[in-house]
Amino acid sequence: MQLALFNLLSPVFGMLLQAEGNGRFAVAWEKAQHPDLSKFLIIGALLFIIGVAGVLTRRNIIVIFMSIELILNAANLNFIAMSRYLQDTGNVNAVAGQIFAVFVIVVAAAEAAIGLGIVIALYRNKETIWVDEIDILKW
Amino acid sequence: MVLTGWEAVFFWIFSIAAIFAALLTVMARNTIHSALFLISSLVSVAALFILLRAEFIAGVQILVYVGGVMVLFLFVIMLVNVGSEERGSEEIFNHSRQVTTSVIFCALLVGGLLYAINVGYEGLQKRDETAVAVAAGQRTTDEQNLPQAATGSSRITKETERVGNGLYRYGSLPFEIASVLLLVAIIGSVMLARTLKQEAAVDDTAPEVLQAEARHDPELAQLQTISLAPDENAIGTL
Repeated sequence: MQLALFNLLSPVFGMLLQAEGNGRFAVAWEKAQHPDLSKFLIIGALLFIIGVAGVLTRRNIIVIFMSIELILNAANLNFIAMSRYLQDTGNVNAVAGQIFAVFVIVVAAAEAAIGLGIVIALYRNKETIWVDEIDILKW
Repeated sequence: MVLTGWEAVFFWIFSIAAIFAALLTVMARNTIHSALFLISSLVSVAALFILLRAEFIAGVQILVYVGGVMVLFLFVIMLVNVGSEERGSEEIFNHSRQVTTSVIFCALLVGGLLYAINVGYEGLQKRDETAVAVAAGQRTTDEQNLPQAATGSSRITKETERVGNGLYRYGSLPFEIASVLLLVAIIGSVMLARTLKQEAAVDDTAPEVLQAEARHDPELAQLQTISLAPDENAIGTL
């Protein structure tokens, strides 16, 4: 059933698969139907990179905070994927990754509260949320 | 850990949704749109957590992030909303040189990470091949023994129980420290966000600071004349 859905979703891929035979594409397609730990790690890495790009390029300090949330969330995804992998290697009680994820969420909540408090205080005094105009500490 | 069947389909749906929502968070012009895209990214990642059988973390993610942190974000956006970004009169990205440098840096980082993940995962597979094969057989028999849910289509897992056990057995000290951290965050954000007027009202600011501020804030000066003894400077500004 799900195999049929995969093939339905991808007429182009199916054609390529016919032409390629047992080539690299077929291997990749086979891997895509069975996502494992490495796929989760890749998704985590991409979310992390998007967050880093947001921190480096945006001017709005609130969007920078949101990008930091994205980075922390990517770290959480990695923690939990690794925890699941460790459980699958035989140790059913390997939940340290999930416990770490709880603490990461706690720290993210505290960071958001403090950071947004700073943003409000800053906006009250400087009337700006653009990080390139916030340069009191610049010498 | 290999997902098969519908789990694989949902894995691709939610991971693509998470990545596109994250991209739109960074690229949206309107800050409110950014926040809403971030919410959808967080919800998609919570769905990935469920695929990884971390139901408790998925619930915490929805409750704390989407229900708490993002509501806080939306409030702050509405408090400091400037509007010039949405109208297009302000640039949303930094100067083009900075953007180019950071994009090159991110491309290098993504290349390095993808290479490292592929190579590292091959090594990990080679190392754990036998352990995974043994554990897979054990796992299927364990799952057969789990109690059936009322709908009959799924089984009741013990993941949350294990997380709770681990949290209170090995992580009880960090757990207590986290509560202190949250307390500090509460007090700190209240202290940071209050105005000078509120500070004057609780009377814990140095009188010199208040007088200096009162010279260009008539409202504060008025407040000062009520709360403090009459002062020539403050009366002068009135």
